[in-house]
Amino acid sequence: MTDSVHAESGTAPGAAEAPSTEGTDLGVVFGPGSPAVSDESGTAPVQLLTPEGERREHPDYSFDLDDEVIKGFYRDLVLTRRIDAEATALQRHGELGIWAQLLGQEAAQIGSGRAMGPQDFVFPTYREHGVAWCRGVDPLHLLGLFRGVDQGGWDPNENNFALYTIVIGAQTLHATGYAMGMQRDGVVGSGDPDKDAAVVAYFGDGATSQGDVNEAFIWASVFNAPVVFFCQNNQWAISEPIERQSRIPLYQRAHGFGFPGVRVDGNDVLACYAVTQAALRRAREGSGPTFVEAYTYRMGAHTTTDDPTRYRLSEDLEHWKLKDPIARVKAYLVRGGLADDAFFAGIEQEAEAMGEHLREGCRALPDPSPLSIFDQVFVEQTPELAAQKEQFAAYLASFEGAH
Amino acid sequence: MNAAVSTDELTDWLRMMTLIRGFEERVKNLFSQGLVRGTTHLATGQEAVAVGASAALQPDDWVLGTYRGHHHALARGMSPASAFAEILGRSTGVCRGKGGSMHLTDVSHGVMGSYAIVGAHLPIAVGCAWSSKIQDLGRVAVCFFGDGTTTIGAFHEAVNLAAVWKLPAIFVCENNRYSEYTPIDQVSPVAHAAADRAAGYGIPGVVIDGNDVAAIRDAVDVAADRARRGAGPTIVEAETYRHGGHSRADPATYRPEQEVEHWLQRDPVAAVRRQLEATAEPGRAEQVETEASDQLDRALEEALAAPEPDLSTLTDDVYARAL
Repeated sequence: MTDSVHAESGTAPGAAEAPSTEGTDLGVVFGPGSPAVSDESGTAPVQLLTPEGERREHPDYSFDLDDEVIKGFYRDLVLTRRIDAEATALQRHGELGIWAQLLGQEAAQIGSGRAMGPQDFVFPTYREHGVAWCRGVDPLHLLGLFRGVDQGGWDPNENNFALYTIVIGAQTLHATGYAMGMQRDGVVGSGDPDKDAAVVAYFGDGATSQGDVNEAFIWASVFNAPVVFFCQNNQWAISEPIERQSRIPLYQRAHGFGFPGVRVDGNDVLACYAVTQAALRRAREGSGPTFVEAYTYRMGAHTTTDDPTRYRLSEDLEHWKLKDPIARVKAYLVRGGLADDAFFAGIEQEAEAMGEHLREGCRALPDPSPLSIFDQVFVEQTPELAAQKEQFAAYLASFEGAH
Repeated sequence: MNAAVSTDELTDWLRMMTLIRGFEERVKNLFSQGLVRGTTHLATGQEAVAVGASAALQPDDWVLGTYRGHHHALARGMSPASAFAEILGRSTGVCRGKGGSMHLTDVSHGVMGSYAIVGAHLPIAVGCAWSSKIQDLGRVAVCFFGDGTTTIGAFHEAVNLAAVWKLPAIFVCENNRYSEYTPIDQVSPVAHAAADRAAGYGIPGVVIDGNDVAAIRDAVDVAADRARRGAGPTIVEAETYRHGGHSRADPATYRPEQEVEHWLQRDPVAAVRRQLEATAEPGRAEQVETEASDQLDRALEEALAAPEPDLSTLTDDVYARAL
């Protein structure tokens, strides 16, 4: 590709350097410079808030906003966890067919979600409940999909938040296409901070093994598309651990595609915010994609149909509990005297109200008309589909006569 | 770094490269005469990659090629007569005349197929390599593909899996600079479309002169040694050039004349011929060329005399066991 692409790659602060030779015989045979296996050095994630709730400095990334913002993050984190817990319970009560839990990944989602501007656009997986919250989607709308009463009850254009994608990795292609559309709309690299926009594509560690993601990376890199590839590495592709999916730390995957990759502590909301913001800035100004690996852990099951005790050790879970994304923010706020009991009680009250909203709202979601399955397939209904709808309506009517 | 190349080796290489080139010339003529249906993709100019790689392999290793794959098959020892017959749709062809130009397959020579779908064979090569690993066969699977394939999802899935499982696979990219009509440097995010991608999988990737048989042999030799030791796959990117168009339908007018001229000056067959002439007795090269030409003439004659497959065989060979 062009020199500009190559010049840009590797310019992101904190992005890893090109990997060195493994020390195999290849260096001897082919001479120096043959790119080979990466090393493990420099894989420590960007961290700005420790699990103990202490702020940390980083040479390339910083969090400059005031403590009120952090208190806002805390509220987001708690409410997001509550949305997740309520939905899980609703599934157990038979009100939802299935639910994909985000427990443990709240910071990755709130940090990245809050880093976006209203003009940016999100392409989520089926687990981005925290991002949906940041984009202003009513959590009740999320439940409709999992209850099976709609195909995603929100308008993607209202909050610049696309519908959940179930097919692993497919949304990275949609994201890249949308980002290329932004380029053609002239909202990339215009220099106007309110106008310039970017796309954030969410996906998990398992998706990195998908061919679709490869194709999205290639296109985004070659066309310098404004995409932030935000990978929540929660260590598990359902029951498959990350060690069985990649031979290198995931953020280094970007090396093969000519754009920067950075690993961030995915349980650190401040670091996730700072890293995503930097990647978004880079994308909006027209410098192309960035791969962000948010290193986190799926504390719950893959979905409510999965039992992780069958394939992973409880001690791993205990280890990650010590890195809880919410506890560290609370520790920071309490230790610094930045929030009092009333603050925490107020949020708890809000969470209770959220729970009630979801429980009552979920049960009240209307069952769809069987004929609605034909709606919203195409922008303009095709004659074939209209005929099928008519046929199906007649079929349904024939039962009514039988009653 | 090249191990010394003996006169005998040079003789073998020139023989095979001349055979491949002459084969492709005859195939081109057959298509022009309307004796074959469909299309064909000639490897003229890319002979060195197949010959060099084959020189590094053991008889029981596997190779998988693309729709531009006559050279891979011939270099592994497929008989020219059965290859011609296959392309001509005759019952004596390697696939009994039902595969055609793009599907030359000869398991007895380790040619595990040629594939018309871009990138589709990389996962199959990984499957071969896996079978070698779990059965402890010590065999390697070499997968040839073009530069355009690196942008296909299957490339990613195959290379990553081979890397993670440390499979005895060698991914040989014949970078002929064009994916059909698109220059690869316009659609690759990295300078070396295949080799630079290796960094993303934690495996070695090397770039070599794809018109230098010895360089390819040495690279594949090292990669095969790694593979057999259980150290995993390697990406070998061989920089080469197709002398003609993408397929017989393509006059390749999109390529700058100077570029074509530059590469014609670097013709791999001529290079081997010069090397041989420098070391062998006078007349050796001509003798090899005459023998190859005679062999091809006999093979083509044999193929043209063979019957077309009987209609009753239409559903044979679809499944291993008839349904």
